[in-house]
Amino acid sequence: MNDMWLPILFLLIGVSLGLLTDVQVPAQYADYLSIAVLAAFDTLFGGIRAHLERTFDEKVFITGFFFNVSLAAFLAFLGVQLGIDLYLAAVFAFGVRLFQNLAIIRRQIIDQKLLTKFRKK
Amino acid sequence: MRNKARWMVSLICLFAGFMVAVQFQTTEAEPEIRDTRDEWEIREALQQEQQNQRELLEKIAGADKTLESYEVDSSQVQLNTLKQSIDVLEERIGLTEVSGGGVVLTISPIFFEGVSGGQTYPEVSPQLLSRLINDLNTYGATEIAVANERLTNLSPIRNVNGSTYVNNRPLPSLPFTIQVLTEQPAKLKDYMEASQARDFFNMENLELEVEMEESLTLPKYDAPLHLEILEGTGE
Repeated sequence: MNDMWLPILFLLIGVSLGLLTDVQVPAQYADYLSIAVLAAFDTLFGGIRAHLERTFDEKVFITGFFFNVSLAAFLAFLGVQLGIDLYLAAVFAFGVRLFQNLAIIRRQIIDQKLLTKFRKK
Repeated sequence: MRNKARWMVSLICLFAGFMVAVQFQTTEAEPEIRDTRDEWEIREALQQEQQNQRELLEKIAGADKTLESYEVDSSQVQLNTLKQSIDVLEERIGLTEVSGGGVVLTISPIFFEGVSGGQTYPEVSPQLLSRLINDLNTYGATEIAVANERLTNLSPIRNVNGSTYVNNRPLPSLPFTIQVLTEQPAKLKDYMEASQARDFFNMENLELEVEMEESLTLPKYDAPLHLEILEGTGE
């Protein structure tokens, strides 16, 4: 876990950068941004999970990030064109995956803790 | 995690953080309401508020006086006070006859001679009447009666099956009169002579004549008041 500080630091830098620059997205594009945020979080947690499972691959990670974000935005765009709230589909999918990933991460961490305890004994 | 991968993840984190912050700002941001009034407008607003305050204080003083007379006097006098306040209230909402100086508006049809195809007999639409009454109120009318129907604050003016109803009774066919009580009849007459309402009546082939009257008597509102939507203040 000691190599997690850099991403967290960068996350904080990103947040403060966004807050300090005072950028605002026009209201009609807020949907796209929200879904992109969701996709980004999904990818991040997916990456953490893969890292814990030792199947992390940076190509998969990077492509996953951009592909998910753009697919989500495209779905939202298509939904607007068709008059269906298609972005809800993306919200649903990403939401479910977020929960799954978080559950797996939690189990992994608990397992690791238990393993280290056993080893100490 | 290898070094490169770590930087990649960090970069993505940076992106994600930035997006979150922007999203947060977008949803949080409310349009800023700025006070763009200049000094004069603020002064006017202040004056308006002071006027309101004075009126409220006067009302409070009146109510206090009534209360005091309730508390101090014997039950007979109390009854009288109660009756007096009821009388005052009835007069204020139009349940009594009132008389005084005012103007009489006569609405009559205009007929054109030599119009082929015949001319329909003109009627006063509810919108037109409402407009006229708004104008009258704007120019200082205190009490209004339309064709002997006393207008109260609850009086409806509406279209029922094509004819205009005031106080739930149909207006008679033209010509009819509108009696208006006011404190300055001459002023109201001048205003009405020059008002736009006249033009709107003319457009509908209606003539609006304004006459001043020294003494007018307005009928009382005699239908029951429906106060279903009003509630007590629950003291």
